[in-house]
Amino acid sequence: MYQLAEKREFKMKLTKILLGGALLLSSATFAVAQDQSLQVILCGDDTWGGEVNAKHAAEWEANNPGYTVAFEYVPWGQCQEKATTLAAAGTPAAVAYMGSRTLKQLAQNDLILSHDLSEEELNSWAGPILGTVTADGKVWGLPRAFSTKALYWNKDLFEAAGLDPESPPKTWDEMYEAASAIKENTDADGFGLAAASFDNTMHQFMNYVYTNGGEVINEDGEIVFNSPNNVQALEFYGKMAEVSQPGPVAYDRAKLRPLFVESKIGMFISGPWERNAVGDAVNWGVAPIPVGPMGTPGTLLITDSYAVFKGSGVEEAALDFAKFMTSYDNQMEFEIAAGLTPLRPDHPEVAKMREEDPTWNAFLDAIATGGPEPFVTDYVGLQDVINEAVQGVVLGEVEAAEAVEIAAEDLEDYK
Amino acid sequence: MQAMGGRPNVFPYLLLLPALFITLAIVAWPLLETVRLSFTDASLKPTEEFIGLANYEKIFSRRFPEVIGRTFYWMAISVTLKMVVGVLGAMLLNSAVPGRGFLRVLVMPPWIVPIAIGVFMWRWMYNGQFGMISGVAQHLGILAGPYEFLGDRTGAFYSTVVTDVWVGTPLVTIYLLAAMQSISPDLHEAAWVDGASRMYRFRRITLPLIMPAVATMGLLSAIWTFNSFDIIWILTEGGPRGSTTTMIIDTYKTAISRNRYGEGAARAVMIVIFLSSFAGFYFYMLSRMARRSLKNDK
Repeated sequence: MYQLAEKREFKMKLTKILLGGALLLSSATFAVAQDQSLQVILCGDDTWGGEVNAKHAAEWEANNPGYTVAFEYVPWGQCQEKATTLAAAGTPAAVAYMGSRTLKQLAQNDLILSHDLSEEELNSWAGPILGTVTADGKVWGLPRAFSTKALYWNKDLFEAAGLDPESPPKTWDEMYEAASAIKENTDADGFGLAAASFDNTMHQFMNYVYTNGGEVINEDGEIVFNSPNNVQALEFYGKMAEVSQPGPVAYDRAKLRPLFVESKIGMFISGPWERNAVGDAVNWGVAPIPVGPMGTPGTLLITDSYAVFKGSGVEEAALDFAKFMTSYDNQMEFEIAAGLTPLRPDHPEVAKMREEDPTWNAFLDAIATGGPEPFVTDYVGLQDVINEAVQGVVLGEVEAAEAVEIAAEDLEDYK
Repeated sequence: MQAMGGRPNVFPYLLLLPALFITLAIVAWPLLETVRLSFTDASLKPTEEFIGLANYEKIFSRRFPEVIGRTFYWMAISVTLKMVVGVLGAMLLNSAVPGRGFLRVLVMPPWIVPIAIGVFMWRWMYNGQFGMISGVAQHLGILAGPYEFLGDRTGAFYSTVVTDVWVGTPLVTIYLLAAMQSISPDLHEAAWVDGASRMYRFRRITLPLIMPAVATMGLLSAIWTFNSFDIIWILTEGGPRGSTTTMIIDTYKTAISRNRYGEGAARAVMIVIFLSSFAGFYFYMLSRMARRSLKNDK
């Protein structure tokens, strides 16, 4: 009996050892076989350059065995919040597509890594672009998407309103007159105005600030939003509401396109992606943004960047991945696929783009005279304050001069 | 609790332990953590410091009182409408109208359809250029031109109320219908024989007997409406100019959009205080009704 029990005990022990060994072995094998994953958060969906993203990621994976790139597309309204919240919670994505305006805040809070770039790499971008990603002498993001804005106009509506369809407005006054003529003489509204509680309302307004010689924050870091230039810009934004579609406060920029496509508005200001999106639906042209009485030609330069987060465990690979995706030729291929303004105007493809499609000129020529997004430590705060000023004037609830004063005071908290 | 032998019986308490741990983990700990955060300057930065009541002072020195007032106003209008429409709907579904079964099914979709989808549909309907409401109103000559329901402060505010009522009414209707169906038909028949009119019967029989259900549903509806986030967020994100910013929207914007976790937590604590008072009142009502019911049984 005793021997039998001993045998059974020995068998049990052996089984345990074998099972434990097998478990250890399998987990070790699993660990070896398991690739390290690079979680990459992107905004929107894969319809804009998604195929190119996937192709370049596959190339990078082939050059970096042991790593797998996992793209996660998050809707525009939530993607930055998601990446930031994950980072704040200590479980960051490896790389995230972020508005460059957020980089300063992320860097100050020690959440992202800076990028080491050669002089050649730094100089490859168009002049003002470096300023959109640099803070305290360091580059905190690699620009991935770049946009300048221009004025789209519907030539048929211009003609129907008795205007010259080949002469787009060049000044604010001309733009207002053209919009009035369309509103009075056709069934359409003259202009598409965005004033929703959304980031691109501020972007749209900044186009008027920059074409009237204004600024939000100057080189010395002082808030100068309450300048006469900006009062005039805001007054004009409110005035355009008279000749725009009803209820601009319900419209962000993206909602203006369907109105333009349906010939319900005569003009609107937007980026180069509209060229493909509008297509042949209407007979359109695109021209530089009209200039204000106190300004010169200008536009808001917006870049979105790949930010590499600290604490993902794959930081080095993530830095390399971001560099690979935004390298000279890969970036150009992505921009062509996504319909974005090229970040590197000296790329041979750019000359070809101008030649094949002259509608690019308005966007490419604007780069030299554009201004960056204000670089502050609380971007959402800045955006809310400016949007509130814009909405107040558009709704006729506050005078432009008072609105910019209130905004300038509030902005002191966010610089 | 004592066992038969007089020794305390701990077994029932042991059985309660898992539930207690789960409750502590998913309710008490996050709540305490929120309260703790509300006394700190927690934000995106890696460290946080205790700052006492500074977050509370800050929120009351700015626009938060206005937000609190708006939240209560939004809730009061929405809940009142839900209750009125719910009572009328329940009466209709309880009466012997033709197609009653079909109508009972028809009342459910707003509640069954995922809220996000339903609210997106409403957002489209509120559109001035392409939306159905503006289009029909223009066709009927009520509007001279396109009207953006979400394009001004008043329009946006009441549009969010209407959508909230649309989402919340079916549950109220079904709940009150169940209460009405529990009333014995004999009472109505006896009153009818005595010559009581339809309105008199409703006022003196139906309404008093469904009042406990009305009160319960009203309170629960107030709690849900107070906490309603998705409807306002999808329609207006709290705009224009803060006209639809309720406490929950303001808290989300502060804590999540602007990463001011400490300030957001202080706002969340205020919400907890308000909701706790509703819940306290609800439990008080329940116990009062239970006592009254016991008294009646005796």
